[in-house]
Amino acid sequence: MRNKRIAFFAALAVLAASLAIAENVKLTFVYWGSPNEDIALKEAFKSFEAANPGITVEPMYIQGDISGTEYAAKLRAMAETDTLPDLGYFRPDQFGEFASAGYMLDLTNLVQRENMGKAYLPQVWLKVNNRIYGAYTAAECQMMFYNKDVLKKAGVPLPPSDYRKGWSWDQFVKYCRMITTDYKGRHPGDAGFDDRQVATYGVSLQLWHAMLTPPLWSGGGGIVSSDGRKFLMDSPESIDVIQKIADLINKEKVMPYTSPSSTSQAGLPAPPVMLANGQLGFYITGQWELLDIAKMNFPMGIGALPIFKKPAQMYISGASVIFKSTKHPKEAWLLYKWMMTPDKTLNLYSSGLWMPTKASWYSDPSDLAKWTDNPVHPPEYRTAVIDSMKIAETIPEARVKNYTQIVNECVNPQLDRVWLGEITAQEALKKAGELVRRQNLLQGTW
Amino acid sequence: MRSSGAARETIIKNGRKRNYLTRYNNFWGWLFITPVVLGLSLWVAFPLGLSLVASFTKWDLITRPVFVGFKNYIDMFVFDPLFWQAVVVTLYYTLVGVSLQIVLAFGAAMLLNTKVRGMNFFRTLFYLPSLVPVIVSSTLWMWLYNPQFGLLNLLLIHLGLEPQKWVYGTATVIPSLILMSIWGVGNIIVIFLAGLQDIPKQLLEAVEIDGGNAFHSFRHVIVPLMTPTILYNVVIGIINGFQTFTQPYIMTNGGPANASLFYVLHLYRQAFMFSKMGYANAMAWFVFIATGVISIIIFKTSKLWVFYQGEDKK
Amino acid sequence: MSKVRTRIRLPRPTIYVLLVLFSLFCLFPFLWLLRSSFMTSREIFTLPPHLLPAAPQWHNYVDIFKVLPFARYFLNTLEIVALNVVGALISNTFIAFAFARIKFRGRSVMYALCIATLMLPQTVTMIPLFVEWKIFHGINTYAPLTVPAFFGNAFYIFLLNQFFKTIPTEYDEAAFVDGANFFQIVTRIVVPLSQPALAVVALFTALASWNDFMGPFLYLNDQNKYTLSLGLKYLISGYSVIGQWQVLMAASVLIVLPVALLFFSMQRYFIEGLTMSGLKG
Repeated sequence: MRNKRIAFFAALAVLAASLAIAENVKLTFVYWGSPNEDIALKEAFKSFEAANPGITVEPMYIQGDISGTEYAAKLRAMAETDTLPDLGYFRPDQFGEFASAGYMLDLTNLVQRENMGKAYLPQVWLKVNNRIYGAYTAAECQMMFYNKDVLKKAGVPLPPSDYRKGWSWDQFVKYCRMITTDYKGRHPGDAGFDDRQVATYGVSLQLWHAMLTPPLWSGGGGIVSSDGRKFLMDSPESIDVIQKIADLINKEKVMPYTSPSSTSQAGLPAPPVMLANGQLGFYITGQWELLDIAKMNFPMGIGALPIFKKPAQMYISGASVIFKSTKHPKEAWLLYKWMMTPDKTLNLYSSGLWMPTKASWYSDPSDLAKWTDNPVHPPEYRTAVIDSMKIAETIPEARVKNYTQIVNECVNPQLDRVWLGEITAQEALKKAGELVRRQNLLQGTW
Repeated sequence: MRSSGAARETIIKNGRKRNYLTRYNNFWGWLFITPVVLGLSLWVAFPLGLSLVASFTKWDLITRPVFVGFKNYIDMFVFDPLFWQAVVVTLYYTLVGVSLQIVLAFGAAMLLNTKVRGMNFFRTLFYLPSLVPVIVSSTLWMWLYNPQFGLLNLLLIHLGLEPQKWVYGTATVIPSLILMSIWGVGNIIVIFLAGLQDIPKQLLEAVEIDGGNAFHSFRHVIVPLMTPTILYNVVIGIINGFQTFTQPYIMTNGGPANASLFYVLHLYRQAFMFSKMGYANAMAWFVFIATGVISIIIFKTSKLWVFYQGEDKK
Repeated sequence: MSKVRTRIRLPRPTIYVLLVLFSLFCLFPFLWLLRSSFMTSREIFTLPPHLLPAAPQWHNYVDIFKVLPFARYFLNTLEIVALNVVGALISNTFIAFAFARIKFRGRSVMYALCIATLMLPQTVTMIPLFVEWKIFHGINTYAPLTVPAFFGNAFYIFLLNQFFKTIPTEYDEAAFVDGANFFQIVTRIVVPLSQPALAVVALFTALASWNDFMGPFLYLNDQNKYTLSLGLKYLISGYSVIGQWQVLMAASVLIVLPVALLFFSMQRYFIEGLTMSGLKG
């Protein structure tokens, strides 16, 4: 009797213990991105679950808009309502504020313990007060696409593929003029050129702040100094670069007018489509657009960015963090590490969306082959894009305080009028500088 | 004697009955309106109070609110240049937009009130655009306004006119949004049409008998009789105009150069992008008071121009 | 008797010209929408533009479902619409009945208060309501989008109040004699007699919640909970189909289509409802 009872309780205890082990840990991972990214991430979660029994991942996909302001607003709402998920993507421009406010898990010791510091690109770790609270999710930069047929037809040589040997700006503008034709085949400057009905444009250049940064750096200017103490856009160098870009639209007539302040940029007649249609020669944009452009059926080429004074490149990306409110920091860290290992989400890199954050994936030939040895990445991608990451500086949005406010409230509304041809870059940027100083927005770094 | 006693009895009876009926009615009346009493408290009174209190604080929804007195209001009127930009943009859109909507809708309703073949078809057609969800009309018009491939510039070029930047130009963005609002004016047309159909024929006949022409009947009968309907549409139009958010948010995000930074868009950003809940609530209270003042002005002055038929106003 | 009518007397051709012009203005955007929704991405950006698609691209309408979970959004929207319609019908019927036909103390004050909220811009309560729903743990649920429907709406109360007043009070008295109470009068007499007015309320509610953008935009975080309006928003500005105007146009057509069908099948109620709202009382 007694033995039986003991056996029964023992069995019960074993059962309870096994139940406790089998008890599932559920992690919620929040992210934005294109539907392709969504698919790739969900695959990565599946493989993570298979490798880590007992942990399930609940994807929380918030597409948001391109500019990221809506994603930011939603994450803010979750923080305010104590409903933050366990981990996921975070807008870099809000990182400093939220990390300082104590929303992020301090990863410093974990990164140190696992010797991860050196294995990644030096730009990757996001710090506040010298503690690591997050990392850039990927490495992304600016690049120039072109349609080979359009260039050939216009008698324009293919641009150099070495990022250090890009065309000078004047050369570039000259070629853009050769490409630009109205519906009767006249070029800008020809008698009777009709700039209202242009059949082929020389170039389309994205005009939001990050896309202006490499040209500004190339010309010796910038938006805000990396210590967050100096507004650089009203320097003569910056003014010169901005005016030259605006001239593409209003003076040279080689670029279609676009509205960068629109969330959707929907005023754009979709440059990738125009490029594929043969209505556009060059398209300067984010390297991540390779994903979509590579799928379009046209003779696509990749060239070195035109150079104002010296070659320049930016490092830009979304951030990934673990929220401090998570109940399962250990499991969250496992998933976080998993997502930082490019082998586990290879599709995101080989499809052209991202470049990896792991240092060896740029230097080790076998690692390099994993993501670039495919038809999506043409041979010149290596010299024009990957190699340019050696000189890439990080966009200061995650470090400089009030960066978004400086850009969105002081600079962009002024620049809108420059792109419209209503005022000069000089007038606009002086005004922007005044606004920045009057509101005392230069508060250093986080 | 007997009769008076009986009378008293009936009075008492009736009194009781009335008392009972009153209680009965009070019970059922208040029972039935309980939801709206709760609704008014939960969705109107409490939020209004909360908003008023919050407007005197600095509050990010995370940390405890801090009382700052009138700071938010001072910031609003003195230090935030975008506040006044938002006020100007919203007033421009509302005042010009509502005037044009009323005039055109009135004209359209007059047209639809004529007796010509196919009128039902035209009525349906005029009304159709106002059914379209604002998100769809914004999308659609953004496409119509596309500087290169949009229908409107295509038309202008065909007519030998200069193509426009529409919602992508600083000077043209508000007129473009007004044009789009006129497209959706069908609601107002239907209301005007109903009003026109209610005008007593005898009055128009009287004008005719007195030797008046069509203009006279328009000026002296139709317009005066329609003034209450006009008043209604003006007030509703202004309230709706002040609340414009989706169109600029979707189409321009307030740009270019803040030329379409509507009040609610500015308020939305303060609250949900910068977590300045105190400031946003001060902005909300300002628009509340402004709407109230404008409505009072309109109703007070309406006595000068709104014609109420002698019969009953209800 | 001269043939006097309540109308302006312009020459007939002028009337037609004006009517046709305004009709074109109303109609052309729709035609442009349809046209664009059937084009290829190449065709839509051709200069000079083609008036009609060379071959209609039906697959644009299939692509929407690949780009975003539109079927899911459709069901979500239907759920919200249904709850709103039920809520509006139940609450407003009883409330309006009380205001129209029960003489209780405080009736006119409460009615005035209620109608006054018609003048309250929603902008004012937008933020405090968000805070309130945060307190109720309603963020990222359908509660903020559906629950208020059960608490009456000034506009519908006004509409139904006008209608209920036209029902003769003798019906109530007769029912009282039979021992009915107010609840039974509402369900047995008023509701059956008020079907046109209730149809108007149902229609307007359905339309309003089908078209609502701001509510879902503020309160829903999780993409799986999105409505059609929000879905379309992310077709415009999301990462999925930047510049794929043909897909965007096709999605727009799909969102408008149910509304248009509803309108054509119940046109009479629409016009009636709008007419009633136009200060007839």
